[in-house]
Amino acid sequence: MATFNLSSPKHPNSPFVSSNVPSRISPVVAFYPIPKSSFLLSSISLRLRPITIKTESKTKARGSSYVVSALKKLSDADLVTVPPETEAIPGLFPSDAGVYAVYDGNGDLQFVGISRNVAASVLSHRKSVPELCSSVKVGVVDDPERAALTQAWKSWMEEHISATGKVPPGNESGNNTWVRQPPRKKSDLRLTPGRHVQLTVPLEELIDRLVKENKVVAFIKGSRSAPLCGFSQRIVGILESVGVDYESVDVLDEEYNPGLRETLKTYSSWPTFPQVFVNGELVGGCDILTSMYEKGELADVFQK
Amino acid sequence: MASRPLLSRATRIKSKLQSSLEAAMVEVEDVSYQHAGHVAVKESGASETHFNVNIVSQKFEGQSLVKRHRMVYDLLFDELQSGLHALSIKAKTPKEAGLNN
Repeated sequence: MATFNLSSPKHPNSPFVSSNVPSRISPVVAFYPIPKSSFLLSSISLRLRPITIKTESKTKARGSSYVVSALKKLSDADLVTVPPETEAIPGLFPSDAGVYAVYDGNGDLQFVGISRNVAASVLSHRKSVPELCSSVKVGVVDDPERAALTQAWKSWMEEHISATGKVPPGNESGNNTWVRQPPRKKSDLRLTPGRHVQLTVPLEELIDRLVKENKVVAFIKGSRSAPLCGFSQRIVGILESVGVDYESVDVLDEEYNPGLRETLKTYSSWPTFPQVFVNGELVGGCDILTSMYEKGELADVFQK
Repeated sequence: MASRPLLSRATRIKSKLQSSLEAAMVEVEDVSYQHAGHVAVKESGASETHFNVNIVSQKFEGQSLVKRHRMVYDLLFDELQSGLHALSIKAKTPKEAGLNN
């Protein structure tokens, strides 16, 4: 019995399941993102064995209720062409949870993924790899539990592998084409390459550029993945739950942000941390952000 | 040489805010005990570090939240220099607080 290692959407904080949240790798040239580690992609092993898939309801009309249908087989699902104008995508594909298979222009299967919002995932794939994303098959999964999605993914993968003997290229381990960086895993920005390096610009100017070149910047104590202060933790929680793309800077990191803590207090005339900047302006600390969040005002601030 | 103040920091904060902001209401609560294990607190060895401040003042009228917090921070500059680490501030106008003035 063969055992394949497939890259799969199995990481606990997998990007697959919520890949409609925009994320990006920090493009800021002037600062120094921590190198990305490679733990994002975990693998599962998939044993090849024939499985039976319930298909009795495949003849049911789709229409308004995806609820009734059991998962279609990959070979039975309709192949839908992805339109060149991406605005049309949300109307063509369901924004439900499900498994989807992406085909290139030659009709070759490139990737099988799962998502909590298939339309959003198709949209993001189409934007990032248009040449590999010509048409898509979708199998809506009624039960949005991760286990059900993973089961659906497995069944399509197994069906494809038993039919062709091949793993879709996008699912081979080490292939990151279809994987998006989850926002949570974004790294903190560093102001300098290290304290031993003499800065050629004053720290104030670095701060100034940092907050003006990035829409939302949170100066926190500790890293965004492990804040060292309850207030910073709350800020990270709020920003994550609003879903805004933001940069974080650890003011306690004296190795890479030496002197930042004191300089920032002067720069912003604000004596405490955390501090959140939007479009170069200090919006406030934890109290203000919390209060705006509770009043539902934050989204507006980030949209400006 | 300045002697160590006899009043607690909470009392000092309260009277400073009260007099400068002509506050209709000031509540100051020392919550330092909640942050005893906090990195920065451990480093400094200070004891009166974290406070909740609830303040109602007519002077906040027409000011943004950032401005209001800055007003409070400015008044407490000395305290921030001498070990005050964090304030949780609620700054309202009498109208917002529902007080009849």
